[in-house]
Amino acid sequence: MAMKDLHALPKVRDSFSYLYVEHKKIDQEDKAIALHDKAGKVPVPCAGLTSLLLGPGTSITHAAVKTLADNGCLVLWLGEAGVRFYAQGLGETRSARNLLRQAWASTHPPARLQVVRRLYEMRFPDPLEPGLTLQQIRGHEGIRVREAYARMSRETGVAWHGRSYRRDDWSEADPINRALSAANSCLYGVCHAAIVSAGYSPALGFIHTGKMLSFVYDVADLYKAETTIPLAFRAVSEGPYELESRVRRACRDTFYREKLLQKIVPDLDQVLAAATPPADELEDYDGTDDPPGGLWDPQSGTLRGGVNWAEDAGEEPERR
Amino acid sequence: MVVIILEKVPASVRGELTRWLLELKTGVFVGNVSGAVRDALWLQVCSKMKGGAGMLLHNTANEQGYAIRLHGKTARQIENLDGLLLMRIPAVDKPEGQPEAPQL
Repeated sequence: MAMKDLHALPKVRDSFSYLYVEHKKIDQEDKAIALHDKAGKVPVPCAGLTSLLLGPGTSITHAAVKTLADNGCLVLWLGEAGVRFYAQGLGETRSARNLLRQAWASTHPPARLQVVRRLYEMRFPDPLEPGLTLQQIRGHEGIRVREAYARMSRETGVAWHGRSYRRDDWSEADPINRALSAANSCLYGVCHAAIVSAGYSPALGFIHTGKMLSFVYDVADLYKAETTIPLAFRAVSEGPYELESRVRRACRDTFYREKLLQKIVPDLDQVLAAATPPADELEDYDGTDDPPGGLWDPQSGTLRGGVNWAEDAGEEPERR
Repeated sequence: MVVIILEKVPASVRGELTRWLLELKTGVFVGNVSGAVRDALWLQVCSKMKGGAGMLLHNTANEQGYAIRLHGKTARQIENLDGLLLMRIPAVDKPEGQPEAPQL
């Protein structure tokens, strides 16, 4: 059943942040989805879930993916050690307004710079001096991140030699790097889900550029110092037992405590509000019964959609 | 809010609970009591179940907004998935229609 009224779906702020599953079969179950294994089944309330993280040993059916997509639940495939390698999703909006705004801001250099400044400003407790160049801001940001790692290393006693991982051998990474990877996977999943849910593109980044998830990295960086960095250090300091699982549990608690799901969509809007297109011609399309989208025209602005413009070819309209 | 669901417990246990909670239907209780009273009630219920089973559900400050506690052999068990509590419905070993379905 395709979701007719998107308002029936919980907003990001009322949802569960993520569900991580491994070694299970995910199948359609009485119009919902359930996790199946030998011991039985576990139904999943997917309408209230922002992202489903599929770990190793999972298989999922076509019907289950359709149900998840209908319910605006992002599906992410994770490799071992929580490294994401593929993602799919369908947002909970049918309007392109936010995406058009984001596309405009990311392709107009002065607007883009304003958004970049806003993204950096949101990470610092005090406002940035207006005279700072982008280069200087990047310098301040480098110091801020370095200090976040150093402070947690001092507080927890976990040695820190920098963020490093080998793509070809994840088990080689030290525990703190594995913990950070697992925590960031959860954070990226939630940010990605919020971005898609609010109708933005994960690819059109401002600080980051060139990757399909550039905007996800931009947004996740707003929260790492308060969420994933401290929790990863604490988890490692408490020992190696079930490290990744404890990290994910700490993610759920920390995201809840920091009100991440409540903040994230307003933060996205605030980021993009740093630069507004001059003439706001963006129409609202939010449901399945909406009129067809418009057609862009360089002279006349937006033309009505769902109309055959055959007459404009300079020929007689189709005769019967 | 507190919800208690009891299966196969002595009638006296249910009777006692109705002094604090509303019995919506047999074995399903709901009410609004403090955390201390809730814990005391649950302890009472658990100690007097006599082979029955029960689950307690109460709101708390976590992502789900509520916690679930089970006692005795409830048909369904809690599945804790990295902190998200879902319910596991056990597989039925014997095909349907056969007598004595396993009591899990």
